[in-house]
Order: sequence, then C-alpha cells, then structure tokens
Amino acid sequence: MVCPSNNPYRPIRARVEQVINETGNIKTFVFKPEEPIPFLAGQFMLVTFPGIGECAFTPSSDPKVIETIEFTIMKAGSVTAKIHELQPGEFVGLRGPYGQPYPLKAYHGKDVYVIGGGVGLAPLRALLFALNHEIDQLNKVVVRFGARSPQDICYKGVINSWGERKKTNLLITVDSTGPGWTGHVGLVTTILDENDIDVKNAVAVVCGPPIMMKFANKRLLDLGFAPKDIYLSMEKNMSCGIGKCFHCNIGKYFVCQDGPVFTWEQLKDIPEPW
Amino acid sequence: MTEYLLTTENLHNLVRQLIAEATIYAPINTAGRKYLEIVSPNNIDRIDLDGFRTVDTFKTAVFKISEQVARYFGQEEAAPIKKQVFLGIRACDLEGLSIGDRVFLEGDITDPFYKRLRENLLLISADCNDCGPTCFCTVVKGNPYPTRFFDLNLSPVDEGFIVEAKSEPGRALVDKYREYFNSPSDYMTREKNNNRREIIKKIANVNAAFHLRLDLTQTHKANLENKIWKTLTKDCVECSACNFACPSCTCFLLLDGAAGPAANSRHKVWDACLKNGYSEVAGGANSRPRLYERLQNRYHCKFDYSFERLGRFTCVGCGRCIDGCAGNIDMRKVFVELERQAPLTAKLE
Ligand code: SF4
Ligand code: SF4
Ligand code: FES
Repeated sequence: MVCPSNNPYRPIRARVEQVINETGNIKTFVFKPEEPIPFLAGQFMLVTFPGIGECAFTPSSDPKVIETIEFTIMKAGSVTAKIHELQPGEFVGLRGPYGQPYPLKAYHGKDVYVIGGGVGLAPLRALLFALNHEIDQLNKVVVRFGARSPQDICYKGVINSWGERKKTNLLITVDSTGPGWTGHVGLVTTILDENDIDVKNAVAVVCGPPIMMKFANKRLLDLGFAPKDIYLSMEKNMSCGIGKCFHCNIGKYFVCQDGPVFTWEQLKDIPEPW
Repeated sequence: MTEYLLTTENLHNLVRQLIAEATIYAPINTAGRKYLEIVSPNNIDRIDLDGFRTVDTFKTAVFKISEQVARYFGQEEAAPIKKQVFLGIRACDLEGLSIGDRVFLEGDITDPFYKRLRENLLLISADCNDCGPTCFCTVVKGNPYPTRFFDLNLSPVDEGFIVEAKSEPGRALVDKYREYFNSPSDYMTREKNNNRREIIKKIANVNAAFHLRLDLTQTHKANLENKIWKTLTKDCVECSACNFACPSCTCFLLLDGAAGPAANSRHKVWDACLKNGYSEVAGGANSRPRLYERLQNRYHCKFDYSFERLGRFTCVGCGRCIDGCAGNIDMRKVFVELERQAPLTAKLE
C-alpha cells in the first residue's frame, strides 16, 4: 500500500527540539520539520501524534522563521494529552499549512486591535510577529489579553516586551488575581475601551474560547466596529483540513478552507456560530 | 447522437469479456430485490437491469467504507489498481457520484485515492423503467433516466437495450466490441422515448402528495431558525442509516492505527454527521450538541449550503434514507411541512 505522490493525508516528520512549560496545562513545542513548511499568520496545521491521531493548531511562532515551527498547545483531549508527554528528540507529524491567512494588506493604514483570551494568544503571537514586520504600514497595534489567573498567562518571559515594540501597546487582565499580581483584574471585555483605538479606522482580531469571542465580539460591535472589520478565529472539529470531510462546517462555510479566520460579516446570519 | 441496439444476449457476451479486464459491479436480483454484487460467470444470468436502483449504493466502490490513505513516516508505494465498471447504475446514483467527484476532485487539493479509483471507472448506466415507493428524483430536479455523467447508457426495450455512448471511453468500448452492437430500428427509439415519458408519469403519481411550490433552498433558508425542526426530527434515533445509505454523503474521519501492522497508518473511514461527537472539539465544545440540530444540518447541507457551495442540491432523490430510516422519517414529508411553515417565518426573501 499506499499512495500516489502529493498525498495530502500524509504528514511530514518533525523532531521535537524543545518543550516549554507555559502554564499548568499549556506547553509550547518547538518542532523542526524534515522539510521546511512555510506558513502565513492565521493558517493552521495538523499535528500528528504517531499512532494516536491528529489535532489542528495554528502555529504561534514567527512566520518568517522556517527551520522550526512552534505550537502552543493546551491539554484538552486525548491527542493533546499525548502531545503533552512529548520529550525533545521525539517525533510528530505535520500537515499543512491550510486555511486562509490574516489579510494583512487590508490592515495597512489602520489601528489593529488584537484581543486574546487564554490559549487563544497562541495564533495571535504569530500574528503579532507578522504585524511587527509590517509595523511601518500600520497605524498602531493595541493588544488586550485576558487570562484566568496570573499563573495562566503564556509566554511569561517575553510577553511584556511585546508592548515595547514600535507602535505597540499591551494590556493584560486576569479574571481572578493571584500572588504578586498588580495589574488589571476582570474579563478581557472590561478592558476594551473606545479610547484605545480609532474605531472608524481600525480592525479587530479576536482569538480565544468561544464564550470569550462571543462577548468580545458583542463589545466590539457596541464600540462601533463594522462587522466586516472584526476578525474571529473559529475553532471547529477538523479531520481532513482540506475541505473534503465536512467535519468543520459552520453553515455553508468550511472552517478549514474558508477560515479559520472569519469576519463577523460572514458569520452574523448564522444562528449561534460559536 | 448515434444509438446502438444491444440484445440481452450480447450484453451478457460483453460482460463476459469485461470480467477479464475489470471488476464489474451490477444489480443482482436476490429474492426480488436488487443488490450490488461483483459480477462473475456464476451470477451473470441474475444481472437485472429492469426496474429502479439497487438497495445499496455504488459509492462504496470509489469512496470506501475504510481505506488506508497514509503510512507514516516510511516509504509508501502505490498499490496497483484494477479497472472497475458500474453496470446498471441509475440516474440518481450517477448524480450522487458526480457530487463525490466535486467534493474529492475539485479545489486546491484533490484526494488522490478517490482520483485514481475514479479515473479507472467505466460507467454503464441504465434508464429506470419502474420506480420504488420512495423514489423522488424528479422532486429534486432530476430525471429517472441518465442524461449526463455516464460513458454508456442502456435504455431497456423489448429487443434488449438502446445504447447511447456519451464519452470517449464509452465510444471506445463500442468500437472494441463492435460485433455486439447493432443498429436499432426507429420503432425501438420510439419505444425508449415512450418508456421515458411513462416513468416520469409514474414517479409523478408516486409523489403526488409531495408536490412542492417553492424552491427547496428557499424553504430551507426560511426555516433556518424555526423550532419546527425539533418536531420534524423527533423520531430520529441517530442510527445514521441515512448517512451511510446516501449516494452523495461523503463525510469521513481520519483514524490512525496504533499498534501492530497497522501502526502509524492512517485510514479514511466513513463518518456520519448525525452522530454526537461529529462536531465536538477537544475540551468538549460542540456546535451541534442536540440531535435535532444535527439532522437539521443534514437537510441544510443538502439543500441550502450545497446550493451556495456547488450550485446544486446534494440530495438526488434516491429515497434510500427513507427506506433505511429506523424512525420512519420521510424527507418528502419534511419538505411539505417546511413549505407549509415557510410563509409563516419572517426571513423568507
Ligand atoms: S430515484 Fe429516480 S433515478 Fe433513482 S432509482 Fe428511483 S426512479 Fe430511478
Ligand atoms: S438524502 Fe436520501 S434521498 Fe437524498 S440522495 Fe441521500 S439517501 Fe437519497
Ligand atoms: S476539516 Fe475536513 S472539511 Fe474541513
């Protein structure tokens, strides 16, 4: 058995280079694929744990770096539990990248309001790298991020430095405070403020758990964002990643093909798309 | 259009020749019902091209119930593949197959496994000269006789079959076995056309109670948020027979083998959108946790979303889901109720 060349179901082998503990249930994995897999911010890949199965994730690393790819993964199901056991030197499989990237050109000349919750920060990290590469074409980048508690914040060593990047402003909030936390306390929606950005000339990019996205989206609409200017990362069950298996549909859309990022304009007529 | 006459005897001669070069699937009469079987010298005389579709669907031969699609990370070699012939495939199943073609072959990425089976497939279809109680091809804009997507089509007449060659491979087959194909007389062609008119009438009678005024895409859109779906689907028991019996349902799941000879192999396995868990993600979020939402999604998939994506319905009216339904849900009754509701719902354009 098996296949004809160009087999889209066959993963490329990648070596685990490094495992970084982010929080109690989130780790970042640095993979080195046997052949480079270039991707654009927003596109996703399928990570195979050999003999167990695949899960879809959006890389969290800088799209400009192609020798290695990083994924920040929360332990949530059977495949991710296995992935969390990985040690450097072991191997996974990667397929992709699939899906549509963030349309960065459309953000040029505008304020970019980046809103993340929990492990939703992972894809946004890749986006923030990409935005920083094009920062001269952007008005400014405003990042608002919420975590459950101070211990649940990813990228602890580096996250604050993002706020020091050119034209970039960062604010983090936690749902419930903890030892040593002097920052904001409250849901991420409570730190979305109309003074942060020029709503009439801005786009918002949201990634987080469904419930957080739902409320962030509502808040953004209240702030005056047009549905076409709100970009939402949708997470749905995926199997093939290539528009064949039908697992990932939201109404007429396939998340793997038409997404994973959608504007609210695309989703607004679909009952409960979350 | 050139037509030929193929007598039943010559059909059998042709099949005997083809057995040597291909795996032939044909309707085989078993206790009065027709099931798909691989043709061998032992069952040639039970090939039955009269009537309507088989109980089971041809899709199984190109979209396998389970198929190995990868073996990582070692070397992979392509298994040799044998030519297949679908003999006696009906108009509805041809339409179903053409939907599979669009799903697996269109887009940036094609499915190479489907592709190579499809490229080695010859379609010898047949007109229906009867219909079953659940046949409703004409309700979903189809015909009970093939007009497209076939290589050769056989229309039963008293003397045998009137053959139409549609494609290059179809014409090549006629040329290769020219001695079996004769010229039909005019009255035979008239008989064929007459049969076609009769079967259309018959289907219209069978479906007289399901006459629809509105377009199915419109009625579905109009009822997207209608709670009537709860009632319409209350007898569904999640058996997924409709998914598996359907010639145009193509959902699958990739499953990886863990141990033994299957270790690190990946299999493409039929899946069913009716099953709970179909759209559940790690962590438990599920976009269609309730059964009625999943059955509603199946209808919208076929009449609303498919129309947006492919410009057509992806139900071909074969009625297999009605025959197979453990809850006795009849799609056609659902349509009638949706239409009755449509004028009452606000969103109708
Ligand atoms: S649905 Fe139409 S084409 Fe299919 S078997 Fe019945 S009559 Fe023939
Ligand atoms: S939905 Fe039912 S009637 Fe329509 S094609 Fe599928 S099995 Fe046939
Ligand atoms: S994941 Fe298979 S169609 Fe989207």
